[in-house]
Amino acid sequence: MRLVIARCSVDYAGRLTAHLPLANRLLMVKADGSVLVHSDGGSYKPLNWMSPPAKLTVGKPDETAAEVGVTEVWTVQSAKTDDRLIVNLHEVLHDSNHELGVDPGLVKDGVEAHLQKLLAEQVNRLGDGWQLVRREYMTAIGPVDLLVKDASGGSVAVEIKRRGEIDGVEQLTRYLELMNRDPLLSPVAGIYAAQEIKPQARVLAEDRGIRCVILDYNEMRGLDDVETRLF
Amino acid sequence: MKFRVERDALADAVAWAARALPSRPPVPVLAGLLLEADEVGVLRLSSFDYEVSARVEVPAEVIDAGTALVSGKLLADISRSLPSKPVDVTTDGSKVSVTCGSGRFTLLTMPVEEYPTLPVMPDASGTVAGDIFTQAVGQVSIAASRDETLPILTGIRCEIEGDQITLLATDRYRLAMRTLPWHPGDPGQSSVALVRARTLSDVAKALGTSADVTLALTTGGATEMIGFEAGGRRTTSLLVEGDYPKVRALFPDTVATYALVGTQALTDAVKRVALVAERNTPVRLTFTEGLLTLEAGQGEDAQASEAVESTLVGDELSIAFNPQFLLDGLGALNSPLVRLSFTQPTKPAVLSPQTDPEGSDDSSYRYLLMPVRIAG
Repeated sequence: MRLVIARCSVDYAGRLTAHLPLANRLLMVKADGSVLVHSDGGSYKPLNWMSPPAKLTVGKPDETAAEVGVTEVWTVQSAKTDDRLIVNLHEVLHDSNHELGVDPGLVKDGVEAHLQKLLAEQVNRLGDGWQLVRREYMTAIGPVDLLVKDASGGSVAVEIKRRGEIDGVEQLTRYLELMNRDPLLSPVAGIYAAQEIKPQARVLAEDRGIRCVILDYNEMRGLDDVETRLF
Repeated sequence: MKFRVERDALADAVAWAARALPSRPPVPVLAGLLLEADEVGVLRLSSFDYEVSARVEVPAEVIDAGTALVSGKLLADISRSLPSKPVDVTTDGSKVSVTCGSGRFTLLTMPVEEYPTLPVMPDASGTVAGDIFTQAVGQVSIAASRDETLPILTGIRCEIEGDQITLLATDRYRLAMRTLPWHPGDPGQSSVALVRARTLSDVAKALGTSADVTLALTTGGATEMIGFEAGGRRTTSLLVEGDYPKVRALFPDTVATYALVGTQALTDAVKRVALVAERNTPVRLTFTEGLLTLEAGQGEDAQASEAVESTLVGDELSIAFNPQFLLDGLGALNSPLVRLSFTQPTKPAVLSPQTDPEGSDDSSYRYLLMPVRIAG
């Protein structure tokens, strides 16, 4: 990762043209070949950029450019198209190189797995007298998050999501269809449990006889502040 | 089917029946409004989404009896926009034509035989005065939760005990309770129902113009249902299932301090002061002898303060509330004075209506509000 802070003007040529007039900016040259031009604002969004694969060549300015004060010209050529990002550097204020290595990637905070664990411990949230049979109950097409028994001993398959979208309902429907073929389990009812359930997903689930349950993650993990409430 | 009906009667009836139309119908026929024209000169409109049903009857000049199922939303939009002239509705094969003046609409029909049968209205349990019913539901529904995490709290609990109905709603931050008189069919009646707040307030607004609203309740059976009927309009709704928390005990038994303030003056002052209260910040109320000082904002932020005349009985006290919750309660009182009763600044306060500065408060309505803890 090379970081350069420079007074520069930037032109983009190719499928669309854009021009950034002379100003101080941060230029990021990444190991994958991409070059990004950032201002001191606009959050994560660069003012302009070239996506990889691309090649950066550093050249000398021609005479007319040198006369107006350009000291260095960067040409970032896209390897796939004719697009080019041209950076005219007038003054380099900072230039540093850092080896970042391979990034481990974004780890979601594991809310879904935690919700599954919490609901397995707090099955009575689904109904009084309900009992957990197994977490990750295996079917031929994959594991169901929870298999539980209701108060009267009937099997219930529970699918847990952070955000309840329509594909989660489809997933649960497939599990239910398969589980209902098992004479030892059948009839199996379904529960779609999530922190938030989209209206379309709710309509589909309820139309298929699947109960929707909204989970309060903070309350389930005991982060609920009862002091601010009446009860 | 062929009939003629007055435009206003049709528009009102369609608007009423269209209330129960589901916004996302899982089956297309549920988006329909069922029109039934009777030889005796009655037009009946019905809608149903398996939870709430609505039905209305209006007089019409029926030439040919018959039934038809048409898009409810479209019919509601059309009937609302028609000029003030008689409306002719006729079926023509698989279409329904609506003619009013020189305007003509043709609507597609859906198969009537696929439409579900509407639930039977439960037997009447008693009647309640329409205006009181509307007012009471309005006073209570403000406190009902809109959060589906706890479906039970999205309902209004109706407790029927002899000749009194008590309505209760809470979202765990405030609790509203209203008792109102009614005329039960059986004076020894005692039952409890939990009705979705949105449904109940819709019904109460729509039926409140009638002198008497008939209530019908079936509990304990396979399908627990409540029905309302007034002026040819009737609606039924399934009850919300589950055990309602025992919330009556949350009202404090004793009151250490109470203050009397003009409702309108306090409402206006809270609205003004709350302008500087950023999201999730409270308004602070300081009660001293004869004066109530309201403040909002602190530290680096914008600040506001205002004083309102008040009568204090008990010790001086400082307490803070969520401004919107406080305004909701003040708006529901319908009285010139508000009595604010306190035990401690960290314990819930009770708002109740009062008319006579020298008298006592009206115990039929109480709004319990959790204070916000003030830092430091």
